[in-house]
Amino acid sequence: MSPEHFINRELSWIEFNNRVLDEAVNEANPTLERLKFLAITASNLDEFFMVRVGGLQMQSRERGISTDPSGLTADQQLAAISERVHRMVADQYSCLAAIDKACEEAGIRRVSSNDLREKQARFLSQLFDREISAILSPQAVVGADDFPLLANQSLNLCVQLEPRAGEEDSLFAVIPLGQSTQRFISVQAEQGYEYILLEEVVEMFIDRFFTGEKVAACVPFRITRNADMAVREDMASDLLAGMEEVLDERKTGGCVRLEIGDNVSQATLQFLMNTLGITEQDVYRAPGPLELSAFFRQTDLKGFDHLRFESQRPQLSPEFEHATSVLESIGQRDVLLYHPFESFEPVVRMIEEAADDPDVLAIKQTLYRTSRNSPIVAALIRAAESGKYVTVLVELKARFDEARNINWAREMEQAGVQVVFGVKGLKTHAKICVIVRREPQGIRRYIHFGTGNYNEMTARLYTDVSYFTTDETLGGDASAFFNAITGYSQPQRFDKLEMAPIGLREKLLELIAGEIQRKKDGSDAHIHAKVNSLADPTLIQALYEASQAGVEVKLNIRGICCLRPGVKGLSENIEVVSIVDRYLEHSRIVHFHHGGDDIVFFSSADWMPRNLDRRVELLIPVESSHCRRRLLKILRSCLHDNVKGRKLRSNGSYDPIKPSKGKRHHSQQFLYAEACEAVQRQEDSQRTVFVPYWASDGGAI
Amino acid sequence: MDVIQPRTDISHRPATPVHPVAVIDVGTSSIRMAVAEIHADGQYRTLETLSQSVSLGRDTFTRGRIARSTIEDAVRVLRSYRKLLQEYGIDHSDQIRVVATSAVREADNRLAFLDRVYSATGLDIQALDEAEVNRITYLSVQPLLKTKPELAAARSVIMEIGGGSTEILVVHRGDVLYSHTFRLGSLRLRKMLDSHNETRSQERQIMRTQIALTVEEIIRHVPAADGPDDQGVELIALGGDVRYAASQGTNQSPLHDFERVPLAHLQKLADKTLDRSVDELVRRDHLSIPEAESLGPSLLGYVLLAQRLKLNHVLVCDANLRDGLLQDMAARDAWMDDFHEQVVRSAVSFGRKLQFDENHSLHVANLSRHLFEQLQKEHELPPRFGLILYLAALLHEIGFFIGTRGYHKHTYYLIINSELFGMSKQDLQLVATVARYHRRSSPKPTHEMYMRQSREHRIAISQMAAILRVAIALGRSRSRRVRELQCSNERNQIVITVPDVEELALEQLALKQSGSLFEEIFGKPPMIRTKPLPQA
Repeated sequence: MSPEHFINRELSWIEFNNRVLDEAVNEANPTLERLKFLAITASNLDEFFMVRVGGLQMQSRERGISTDPSGLTADQQLAAISERVHRMVADQYSCLAAIDKACEEAGIRRVSSNDLREKQARFLSQLFDREISAILSPQAVVGADDFPLLANQSLNLCVQLEPRAGEEDSLFAVIPLGQSTQRFISVQAEQGYEYILLEEVVEMFIDRFFTGEKVAACVPFRITRNADMAVREDMASDLLAGMEEVLDERKTGGCVRLEIGDNVSQATLQFLMNTLGITEQDVYRAPGPLELSAFFRQTDLKGFDHLRFESQRPQLSPEFEHATSVLESIGQRDVLLYHPFESFEPVVRMIEEAADDPDVLAIKQTLYRTSRNSPIVAALIRAAESGKYVTVLVELKARFDEARNINWAREMEQAGVQVVFGVKGLKTHAKICVIVRREPQGIRRYIHFGTGNYNEMTARLYTDVSYFTTDETLGGDASAFFNAITGYSQPQRFDKLEMAPIGLREKLLELIAGEIQRKKDGSDAHIHAKVNSLADPTLIQALYEASQAGVEVKLNIRGICCLRPGVKGLSENIEVVSIVDRYLEHSRIVHFHHGGDDIVFFSSADWMPRNLDRRVELLIPVESSHCRRRLLKILRSCLHDNVKGRKLRSNGSYDPIKPSKGKRHHSQQFLYAEACEAVQRQEDSQRTVFVPYWASDGGAI
Repeated sequence: MDVIQPRTDISHRPATPVHPVAVIDVGTSSIRMAVAEIHADGQYRTLETLSQSVSLGRDTFTRGRIARSTIEDAVRVLRSYRKLLQEYGIDHSDQIRVVATSAVREADNRLAFLDRVYSATGLDIQALDEAEVNRITYLSVQPLLKTKPELAAARSVIMEIGGGSTEILVVHRGDVLYSHTFRLGSLRLRKMLDSHNETRSQERQIMRTQIALTVEEIIRHVPAADGPDDQGVELIALGGDVRYAASQGTNQSPLHDFERVPLAHLQKLADKTLDRSVDELVRRDHLSIPEAESLGPSLLGYVLLAQRLKLNHVLVCDANLRDGLLQDMAARDAWMDDFHEQVVRSAVSFGRKLQFDENHSLHVANLSRHLFEQLQKEHELPPRFGLILYLAALLHEIGFFIGTRGYHKHTYYLIINSELFGMSKQDLQLVATVARYHRRSSPKPTHEMYMRQSREHRIAISQMAAILRVAIALGRSRSRRVRELQCSNERNQIVITVPDVEELALEQLALKQSGSLFEEIFGKPPMIRTKPLPQA
């Protein structure tokens, strides 16, 4: 494939972040939701720099000549990223200004040191003396050697002192603002809510730290360290110990980005760049407060509900009524749920029921990221304690969640759960839970497959598929899957499932080839898919071939898409739409027309080399017709979103879609309405209805 | 150590309609397990199948013994399997059957291996002899064959090339005409070649020659076409290698019971595989090392036999040893009628080779069967011994082929050295010993072949020999006039009443001459009585 057929992965990711920023800019969204989107763009960038830019910088140091599929070297990519992100940062701050304005109108005001009233200033002065100054400790810095070890992505102040009498050079001091101090400080307001940022307060009274010295300048800054350090599994004899080492290393990795207030003096900037060993390309000046991700907490302010989205309570699917057993319902027929429109509660309830069911022999499940005080973990522990065989694969390698996952692992092990720490060399990303139950007719397996983590908190924010089934063949495959990942058996041939890294990509390629063949034979052929990212060169090439053969390819890709759609002779039959909306689009669904005999899958896997080659992922066919119809309806809705949908152009940029003939289709709203209607229908069918005979109607009996 | 619970008394087993079981097959390159549940109707449903590579064959076929580290690998795998079995509550010895094939059978240190596994895992591995493997293979294919009448009509050669041996069954119209295990195995072949230093093309030539020798031997046992109605020959291929080859075809759908695979496809894959190094196969095709080692030689074997049979396709069958073992467990002691018939047929054709009096032998065998059934209360032997007795009766006179003097002793060693389908060495010992005691001396402590048996078997042998002697006496007239009989246990004798016969002087005399074995073992003498036709 020639490089120009491929959009650079990093730049495509930045465009995704830009679409999130568009939502922050979008005045149709409630103000605090806009602030939330803005905070997300900042925290996204933080991770991007830690992992992707960190990785590229290492690559650039090691060997500068190899190129990515789009033909760019590491250095070229770094330059392009820097240029694009600098523009994005400018956009973030102009967006913040607009949001600030809207907030002020609504009564939320961030004040600066200049416009404090006297009473407020006196309060802050006292606060500084009593609390802040006690916690913070400035560290004088003479040279690079005694520069303090600053935590990754934490806020600091850099203070430049006037040279002492008879000396030439300025002295510098660094004040880490730490994480124990409150960043947002409320100040008494005449009306509404007012707050000031910690760094401003410290700056106001900075002189008090340096008695006898003169402060020349004071500026906030923040550094980002390289975190892309893989666990060297083959070296670490104990994986837990290995993980803990990584966590330590992450605190001290090399600096990849410096964010700093735009009022920084040339001397201070030069000093920091020298000490941190970075170039101008990695410096981002902010015309406003740093660490916008911290504003996330401001979006939860009590009493401003009108500035947020109207709450949408996840609906309890009529398939599972409150009083009846989830296992029993699944035993009757397969069920497909779509979160967060439908509640995740049945998934939790299924595991809780299994834990207390005397006929359940074993529970096996994967845990990737789970919530604090997870009821699922509690149920698994309870099951193990009551003598059931519980096997849990805890993925320690889930990035940035390592520390938390180590805790679950230890706790469960102590309760007698068989804990497996992932598969060597692979990250286990598949979401699956199998409950083995003894019944009069023999062993029965209840299986839950998902696209989202077993985490009831994220299940309220991400769109994900849950599929419950007792299909015997899928049950056999599910057992074989666990035997493979727990090392009880070498991977066996599955009858229905496909698993990465063994056969998932091959299966998709085979089905794409099948559509191409059908088109060539003169039949209808189409491929509809929804994934979060598409970056796998082999799959992209196959999709190009499909397009060239005339197969209709419609893709719904929320994030990275390295495929160039709509290029004549290459991809004119491919259409890519991205949705960024209040819930994070997260499900993966694939539909092949297959000569009218529709084949529909959902999957834990994105179409990226890392998912298909280095992760354990599953591709699950949905065969029961009512679930398949439902899944197709969801996919269709996502493909046709013309409110939050944006269309990818062949140059890599995205355009809003104009509703044709005024027909608006807002997918997330539509799907929520559907979920509500289903519940309503159920209630209506059960409600006792009194039908009176009104005299005004004639009173005829 | 996890101790396997002793076999529960069947009568005490709760009357659940389903019964979970597991079978484990310790093979040449891997240890495989199937977990299943057996339903009351004798059907079974497989719940899980597992497999892990353990290179037992590599050790045995190169060094003659299993390395200590390999033994520990096997222990580790079996321990993990036991853990899984606990989840299903499978922990009684009658729920688990563990068998081993050639790699263990032929290892010099097999006893050390079996003991180590037993002490570490509580699993009692049974090293199957060749006939037992044949029998189980037949059990695995037979239910599938039954569903395909057109296959049953053909002359089928069932072939399974394993790591250490090749099994052949020739089946026609449901009859097993021939069964044999050859010491030709893919891994054995590979290891033999490793010890030489040949180029790849020389290696392939040696393989061809080796395989061709076996193929010629097999061909000799495939019957010729029988007339115009002949349905031709089919090659039914079993085994992991050929199943893998079939799955590499164009359609990736799961295998059917019988997958028709073009010979050209197999040939191409065999060539491609033999062209590549083992490392390449592991890297590119996700094969384990043992799989990569055995695939090439094994496919070549199927291809050469198919070519020699002038076929352009092979029927790849999805059955395996574990299926056969499960069938066996599902059927328990009630040996299946079909299988029973196969064994008898094989014994008859053996007798014919030795020119036995077929009609008379069958008659005595049938009388033995009647007596065995009628005397069930007296001997209390499981039904399996009925078949042993039947075969002993069928073959008791074959010693005449060698000479009349002391012919019962000739009978003994002829049976011992025979290859009756489905009969293990242990079974043959029983058949031969019972046949040997059909006349002259009762079993004595000086008889070595008798004393070698367990106490339980010694009693069974005496009981069966005693019954056989009565049956022979009843058949003495050689006119087959005794067709029915009825036994009753009276105060001081066991009375055998024969209806519809005027007199039985000859038989009664013969019974007297047959000695005292019956009385010694059953505590009462036998007595033949007639029950004449009612007077008109």
